[in-house]
Amino acid sequence: MGYDLHFGWTGVIGPVTLGATKAEGGTRKMAYHIGGGTTLPFLDTTPPSSSPLVALEICDNPEYWSPIVRHFCGDLVTTADDWAKTAETVYGADLVRLYLTSTRERNFSDIVSIGKTVESVLQATALPLIIEGSNEPRIDSDVFQKCGEVAQGEKLLLGTAEASRYRSIAASAIAYNHSLIAQSPIDVNLAKQLNILLREIGVQRDHIIIDPYTGALGYGFEYSYSAMERIRFSALKGDADLGMPMISSAIDSLNIKEVREADPEQQDDMAVQWEYYTGIAAAVAGAEIISVRHPKTVGLLKNAFASFKKSADFSEVK
Amino acid sequence: MRTVTFLPGYRKIDVPRGSTILDAAQRAGISINVVCGGQGKCGKCIVYLQSGRAEFDQQKYLRFFSEDELNKGACLACETTVQGDLQVLIPESTLIQEQKILIEGRDTQIELHPSVRKYYVELEPPTLADPSPDLTRLLWGIQKWGGPVAEKVYVPLEVMREIPTLLRHSNWRVTGTIALVPGGYRLVDLQENDTSNRIFGAAIDLGSTTVVAYIWDLLRGKVVAVASNYNKQISCGEDILARVNFAKKNGLVKLQALAAESINTALTAASNSAGIDREDIYEVVVAGNTVMTHMLLGIDPAYIIAEPYVPVVQRALSVAAGRIGIAGNQNCGLFAFPAVSDFIGGDIIADIISCGMSEHDEISLLIDIGTNFEVVLGNKEWMFSCAGAAGPALEGGEVLFGMRANPGAIEKITIDPYTLDPTYSTINNIKPRGITGSGLIDLLAELISACVIDRTGRINTQIEHKRVRTGAHFPEFVVAFAAETDIGKDIVITENDIKNLIMSKASIHAACVTLMKQAGVTRHEINTIYFAGAFGNFLNKKNATIIGLIPEIGLDQIKNIGNGAITGANLALINRGVRKTLDDIAKKIAYIELNAEPSFMDEYTSSTFLPHTDLTLFPMVQQLLDECRLRKG
Repeated sequence: MGYDLHFGWTGVIGPVTLGATKAEGGTRKMAYHIGGGTTLPFLDTTPPSSSPLVALEICDNPEYWSPIVRHFCGDLVTTADDWAKTAETVYGADLVRLYLTSTRERNFSDIVSIGKTVESVLQATALPLIIEGSNEPRIDSDVFQKCGEVAQGEKLLLGTAEASRYRSIAASAIAYNHSLIAQSPIDVNLAKQLNILLREIGVQRDHIIIDPYTGALGYGFEYSYSAMERIRFSALKGDADLGMPMISSAIDSLNIKEVREADPEQQDDMAVQWEYYTGIAAAVAGAEIISVRHPKTVGLLKNAFASFKKSADFSEVK
Repeated sequence: MRTVTFLPGYRKIDVPRGSTILDAAQRAGISINVVCGGQGKCGKCIVYLQSGRAEFDQQKYLRFFSEDELNKGACLACETTVQGDLQVLIPESTLIQEQKILIEGRDTQIELHPSVRKYYVELEPPTLADPSPDLTRLLWGIQKWGGPVAEKVYVPLEVMREIPTLLRHSNWRVTGTIALVPGGYRLVDLQENDTSNRIFGAAIDLGSTTVVAYIWDLLRGKVVAVASNYNKQISCGEDILARVNFAKKNGLVKLQALAAESINTALTAASNSAGIDREDIYEVVVAGNTVMTHMLLGIDPAYIIAEPYVPVVQRALSVAAGRIGIAGNQNCGLFAFPAVSDFIGGDIIADIISCGMSEHDEISLLIDIGTNFEVVLGNKEWMFSCAGAAGPALEGGEVLFGMRANPGAIEKITIDPYTLDPTYSTINNIKPRGITGSGLIDLLAELISACVIDRTGRINTQIEHKRVRTGAHFPEFVVAFAAETDIGKDIVITENDIKNLIMSKASIHAACVTLMKQAGVTRHEINTIYFAGAFGNFLNKKNATIIGLIPEIGLDQIKNIGNGAITGANLALINRGVRKTLDDIAKKIAYIELNAEPSFMDEYTSSTFLPHTDLTLFPMVQQLLDECRLRKG
């Protein structure tokens, strides 16, 4: 080609392992080793860069979930383990991301049920799991402790640490050897600050996934894109505190005005399209995991990433 | 005309044949020691004739010379007349020795060289043989006693009218006061008999909160009294913006009068404590920010505070003090410092000359912290400046138990990293009432070193300790329990206080970095950081570095200059040469508008971390904190 597709960069995106097979002490059918990138995604490099993973988001209490997804999935949403299984077998997701929305109930305290939910989802699917814990600082410590404990050995990805709330989740990740998602509000400096905080209380760099926070396309996504780009450039230039894989989840895509006001017959399509294009853009910005809620988006994204890899070879273009 | 060349400086002057060498020297601007007023009586004006033709009766003045001096061609400048072109050597001992004095807040000496001086003269009364007019007689006398050349002195009409009576009433023994003003020399006062030991000047720091006055004995080069009081404009608005708006609504007259009154109050207090007459104050030098200076001079400040933020005047101004209501001698002059921009005013120019950064090749960084902060980076060749709002946190505002440096304020604090028990000292050593800015900086540095807070300033509430608790709204750390305080309640610092402090320190650090990037300077190239402002003197340099208030450089390269505004005003009062440099400094400084600087927000965010998101900029702090963490385990 004649181009240096590494642009003189020397940094590497540090590897993070998600999931563990039997041989590795877990029960998953595969483990993903993400990261390792040395340049921007979808470039024609040798070895070729790996495709982003696509995670399907599910929850254990659909009351707090998008009506569009509830409508599309029907009864599936009432049982988290069936939903997780279908994500693997029917929708073709690479990862299942379980939101423990049941913890959002007022004065929630049934920590035992949380453990049971996680256990049954682990049995229902063989895919590596992302678990999103409580939304309530009061019970953080108990929830993350429980999730971490029942999934010991499975190398979960736990979510979500923020600068104002990271100690409980970090404690669980360290104690049970899981990784965690570090989310900061669309700013390269704030992303780095959180990573330093986590490192300083003992979370290893290879156990952190950066979530730079993703606004929906047309609703601030350009800021997310720019923040992701800067995070990735800094990492490739050698800033180890930013040299982690990224996850992008544009959850607002299903709630935006264009989807809400769409013709009822087209609402589903509109939601999928919006989520799909946001996911494409986030992958181009460098995200290693694209997390979506609409099952149809999963397949569309996976096809797109596969075709990107093929067409990246200039010589094939006539 | 004959040309006289003075050695060793080769200064040349043309004078009529028959002039004395003393006269020629005075015209050439050389200050020769003439104790007797040039009457051949004191023998102090010895010079050496190197070549050329002059007339001097050596025999008549033999008593003043050694043999060696006679062999080298010594003569008295006042008694030697110029006959042809001459070369004259003036020995060091014949020149008036400048008095060197040391000023508080500055570590090098400065010459006493005020712009106003008194000359006591004893004149010969006129006779039929010498009927020259009174004024000529007086000014010639002053010139003979070392004053400026007679015809260069302007005499205002009101002084002129007093001359005939004063001269005769005093039996021709009078003291004239001559001031150097932008137009030249001016005879500002004439008094009977010898009052030459009563000449005073005042240096003023006109702050928006406080006015500070120093009264100097301009003959001896000594401070005789210091006084300070609040700026009475506070009644028209706490901050500058409010006062400018008050002026817009109600006119400028009241604010102008209050500014003058504030200065007068300080001058009266200082004069009284020194036992001097305010009539003997001949000059006032004022350093104030741009808006304060405008208001004092009665110049409309309205256009400074609105886009595009234009001051009316930038250059230094000299005015009659009486015209703006400052009470001193009736002909007292007032010198106001120049400004750079809306936010970089005379107080900052005063900081610059007081730290001397405009005289050095090495690069310095000057930081003046108050409610607003100003930063100047540069050396004698170039300077960049910027200003911004630091928020009141560093002055104790917006912090639950923050306070100004009044009695009972905790100004220093350390925390035992194991027991978390603080040790503090308060102003006047009484029971604590609150915490000053310097105390807050200490506290922040100690809390992070003891791992009570993380780098974003959040308190680790998992620590089980009686001092770490969750208050009504925020987690907090107890600095002093109610029983040990003077206010009967626990003195705490909350997470919200810490957040405000971090925002303040971040904007200051970001401003420093923005200027450094503008100038292409790294922290390694900064030779000295100067701290000015109210809490400058009490600031713990190490702790200021630990929290990332300033870029990390060697601790011995950080200097507190305290109230640089008053130091600069003092310098300009006692040495008129300093004043000449001020306008040049002001013109040299480029002003960077932080709001228009796209990278500023980014720098700010990266500075909202202890000490900074880029830890490589703070290697010393990083090592220190790593050690702290290791120790804590």
